[in-house]
Amino acid sequence: MRESRRARLILGTLLTAALVILTVDHRLGGSSPFGPLRTAGAWLFGAVEQTAGSVTRPIGELLGAYANAPGARDEIQRLEAENARLRTALIAGRIDAARSEELRRMLGLAGRGGYKIVTANVIARRGSPGFEEAVQIDAGTADGIRPEMTVLNGDGLIGRVVSAAAGTATVVLISDRGSATGARLEGGQEIGVVHGVGDNGRLVQFRLLDSTAPLAPGSRIVSFGSQHGTPYVPGVPIGAIERVEATPGELTRVAFARPFARLSALDVVGVVVRAPERDPRDSVLPPRPQPKKEAVRPPRRDTLVRPERDARDAALRGRDATDAVRSPARDSTVDTPEQDLGERYPGEERSPGRDSARAEVDPGGEPEGAEVAPDRGQGETGRESGGAVRPPARDPGDTRSPERDPRSARTPGGESRDSVRSPARDQGDGGRSRGEGGR
Amino acid sequence: MTGVLIVLATVLVQVIMVNRVALPGGATPDLVVLAVIGVAMARGPAAGAVIGFCAGLLVDVMPPTAHLLGHYAFVLAIVGYLAGRGLGTPVTTVMLCVVIAPLLAAGLGGLISDPRVTVGTLTDQVPLTIAYTLILSPIVMWLYNRGTRPGYAT
Repeated sequence: MRESRRARLILGTLLTAALVILTVDHRLGGSSPFGPLRTAGAWLFGAVEQTAGSVTRPIGELLGAYANAPGARDEIQRLEAENARLRTALIAGRIDAARSEELRRMLGLAGRGGYKIVTANVIARRGSPGFEEAVQIDAGTADGIRPEMTVLNGDGLIGRVVSAAAGTATVVLISDRGSATGARLEGGQEIGVVHGVGDNGRLVQFRLLDSTAPLAPGSRIVSFGSQHGTPYVPGVPIGAIERVEATPGELTRVAFARPFARLSALDVVGVVVRAPERDPRDSVLPPRPQPKKEAVRPPRRDTLVRPERDARDAALRGRDATDAVRSPARDSTVDTPEQDLGERYPGEERSPGRDSARAEVDPGGEPEGAEVAPDRGQGETGRESGGAVRPPARDPGDTRSPERDPRSARTPGGESRDSVRSPARDQGDGGRSRGEGGR
Repeated sequence: MTGVLIVLATVLVQVIMVNRVALPGGATPDLVVLAVIGVAMARGPAAGAVIGFCAGLLVDVMPPTAHLLGHYAFVLAIVGYLAGRGLGTPVTTVMLCVVIAPLLAAGLGGLISDPRVTVGTLTDQVPLTIAYTLILSPIVMWLYNRGTRPGYAT
């Protein structure tokens, strides 16, 4: 009984204390005298909690993981399904964007040329068992496609329809060895024939009917057009000349062109179901990049020569400047710096010889060199009679550069380097003085 | 001394581990109440009240805390006293104390107009807390039965 009374007393005291603490804390709020107690508790137990928490957090997470395990499995499955769906949608969106871009370009081309096209997708391609280069498209007679119609894509000509079923059609590419397409050089009347050479459409052969017409790498060819637009409508870009073959003595000139359309990677194509009312000529060709434009225009002899001369002049100017620093009277003493000049500017002196070498190996290196290549190949006549008996191809534009002719006529035939260099150097010096005089 | 250590450890475990486990319903068992009940049953009403008061103060001070100081000291002092005095058999003592503790806390919160104590708290959270604590209460009963046997050092 006494024990119980004592206990009650203690309980009463404690409860009173608790109520007092509670009241004081409640009444005084922020300025409570128990603030320091709270702070100390927070500091002490905060540290303890932090330490213990870092140790026991994995346990708590494990418990949580167990508690959530059934839901987590569902969640994982749901997320995986969603992930797969999103990934598919992403890929589909990417493909759609690419196709949309192709379609847009093709519609632009068709609009420029006035072609009325039916779009189709390439669904099959003739593989290695077989000699033809042909693809199958998913549009047929139900879409208004008949045999002998032109097929193109956003880049250029692809081929022609050879047979059409209700829902599909077969297209023979221009790279097929049996395919022949009438073609015309850009910006002129020169016509020729494009033959396929196989090779997965990397190159096509362009045979220019007029062997004297100027033909340089970089010039572009468009389709010439057949009668009533069948099988080829006019004006479709075909490709750009990549290299010109040296064909001495032949009636035609042969060049190899790179097709604008990547014939090995076809997706969206268009079949021209109605030819334009009139020949679009060159208007379908995409605009040329600006620097190239100047370099490969038809009156290209002038514009081609000029940059080279300019470059040389610049070099001369630089040399003059250095000479001016070293000895101002260098110009009067031409014979002394000869050796020096030959060493310091060997490329300039040797350039004709190098040009001819390159023309034999790879005529496509430089437009100018390639054009001169046939002449150089049969350089005997040119060498004997100077610039006068050059083939007519070279004549029209040559009026501007008389100082180049003797050099280019003389040097290719020379066997030893010295015999080549000495006249060339003379000419180079002459050219320099003339060039300076002209300036 | 053992009782003090037990209560201290329980308070830490409660805050660090138990309150972090996301059990269905959003409530957690109140281990501190169980510890106070167990220690008070072994020590009697006076010691139980003191232990409960101290444990309550500890809970009030232990971060994170946002309630008034003395809230749980009051509740646990009463719980400790009742458990020490005994309410019938040990089983009924534990169960009654477990039920009383959250109700007392809620009632005191209502008295001091704690905005966190609402009817929703009384109908949702308090019954769940009581249920979870009751699930764990056999541990205390088992320990108490072991303790009353000879050979248990208190």
